[in-house]
Amino acid sequence: MKFKNVKVPEGINVSRHSPFVDFLILSSGIVSGFAVLAAGLLFLGSALARHTPVSWENALVAMLFENQESAVDSHTAETVGALQALADRLSAHIDLPEGLAVTVHFWDDDQINAFAALGGHIFVARGLLERMPNENALAMVMAHEIAHLAHRDPAAALGGVVLLQLLLAVTLDSAPTSLEQLITGPNALLLSGFSRETERRADVSGLAAIAALYGHVAEADKIFEVFLEQPEPPELLSTHPLSRDRIDGIAALARAKGWALDGPRTPLAPALVDPPAAAR
Amino acid sequence: MQYLSDFANLLIPLLLLLAGYGAGRLAERRHYRSILRREDELGDLIIVVSKTLPLSMPASDTCLVMGSVVISVDYFKRFVAQLRMVFGGRVHTYESLLDRGRREALLRMQKQARALGAATIFNTRFETSSISKGSKNSIGSVEVLAYGTAVIP
Repeated sequence: MKFKNVKVPEGINVSRHSPFVDFLILSSGIVSGFAVLAAGLLFLGSALARHTPVSWENALVAMLFENQESAVDSHTAETVGALQALADRLSAHIDLPEGLAVTVHFWDDDQINAFAALGGHIFVARGLLERMPNENALAMVMAHEIAHLAHRDPAAALGGVVLLQLLLAVTLDSAPTSLEQLITGPNALLLSGFSRETERRADVSGLAAIAALYGHVAEADKIFEVFLEQPEPPELLSTHPLSRDRIDGIAALARAKGWALDGPRTPLAPALVDPPAAAR
Repeated sequence: MQYLSDFANLLIPLLLLLAGYGAGRLAERRHYRSILRREDELGDLIIVVSKTLPLSMPASDTCLVMGSVVISVDYFKRFVAQLRMVFGGRVHTYESLLDRGRREALLRMQKQARALGAATIFNTRFETSSISKGSKNSIGSVEVLAYGTAVIP
C-alpha cells in the first residue's frame, strides 16, 4: 500500500464569494425589509388608533400632563375666550367623535402656526393671529385643526409612532423604560407632521364647516397666501401640500360644492385684534 | 454635543467595518500565501486518517503529534455573518476562517512530526471549538486542533 498527500484543491471548501457583495445584498435586504415593516406598523398603528375610544385618548393626556397646572392667565384669558367661542361655533358644523371636546390654547409665539394635539387640544400662535385680517381667515385655520381632531389624526399619528418605537426598541435592544419615553422618544418628531392626504381631508372638512357657518368660503385661502408671502415656508408645514396647490384646491372644491367664493367678511373679535404678548 | 455623540456612534462602527475589511483581506491573503508555501514544503510528510499501520511499514517508534491554532475573523466578516443569520444560508465569510484554521493546524502538526523525524502521521483527527462561545455578539474566534500518531521509521 502506498500513501501520498494530494494538494488541497482550492475553491471547494471556501467559496469564491466576495464578502463585500454579500454585505451589499444582505444589508439592502435588511434595510428594505425593515422599511416595509416600519411602514406597515405605522399604517397599522394609525388605523387602530383611529378606532380607539376617545376616552382612552383623554385618559392618556390626563395621565401624561397630570402634574402640569392649567393656570388661567388673566393676561390672555380674553383672547383664549374669543378663540374658544369661535372654535365652539365651528365645532357645531364638524362631526366630532363622541366625548371629544375642543379646547383652544393661546400660544405666545411669533410663528405663523396652529396645531391640533391629543385630547382635543388646539394651539393657536400669536404670530398667526397677528396676520389674520378677519374672522373668516382665522376660522379656516381653526376649522382645519378641528377637522384633524374629528378625524382623530393626532391619535392616529401617535398610534403609528408607538408601534414604530416598539419595533425600534426590539431591534435596537433599547427598551423604553416608561410610557412617556415610548411616546416622546426619538421619533416623536413624526407627531408634528401629518401626511399630505390627511391635510387634504382636513382642508375639505374645514372648508365645509366654513361654508356652513358663513354661507361662503371667502378668505379661506388667506392663510396660504400669508405663507406664500413668507421668504421661507414655515418648518412645520413641510409635510403640508404646497400652499399654491391648496389655494387652487380650495377654489376647485368650492366650485364643485356650489359654495360662494365671496361674501361679507366678519371682523375679528376685539380680543383677537391685538393679541397679548408677554415679551412686549 | 448630542450631534457629536450621534455622529461618533455612527462613525465608529463604520470605521471598524472599513478597517476590518481592509485588514482582514490583507491578513487572509498573507496567511493563504504562507499556507500554500508550507504545504509545498511539508508535502512529503504523509498524513493518513486510517487507524492501523500497514504490515509492510516499518515502525521503530510512534508518537502523538498535534498542531493547534486559534484564529479570528475580522469585524467586517463577523458583521456580514450576523446579517446572514437573519436570512439563513451559507455563511461564506466564515468558510475561509475554518479552512485556514484546519490547514494551519495540519501544518503545525506536520512541523512537529518533521522535527521528530517522522515520515507519516496516522490516525489524524480534528477538533474544533469556539473560543468566545457565550459572550454576546462574538463567535468569530475558533480553535482548531489537529492530532495524530507520528510514525518514526
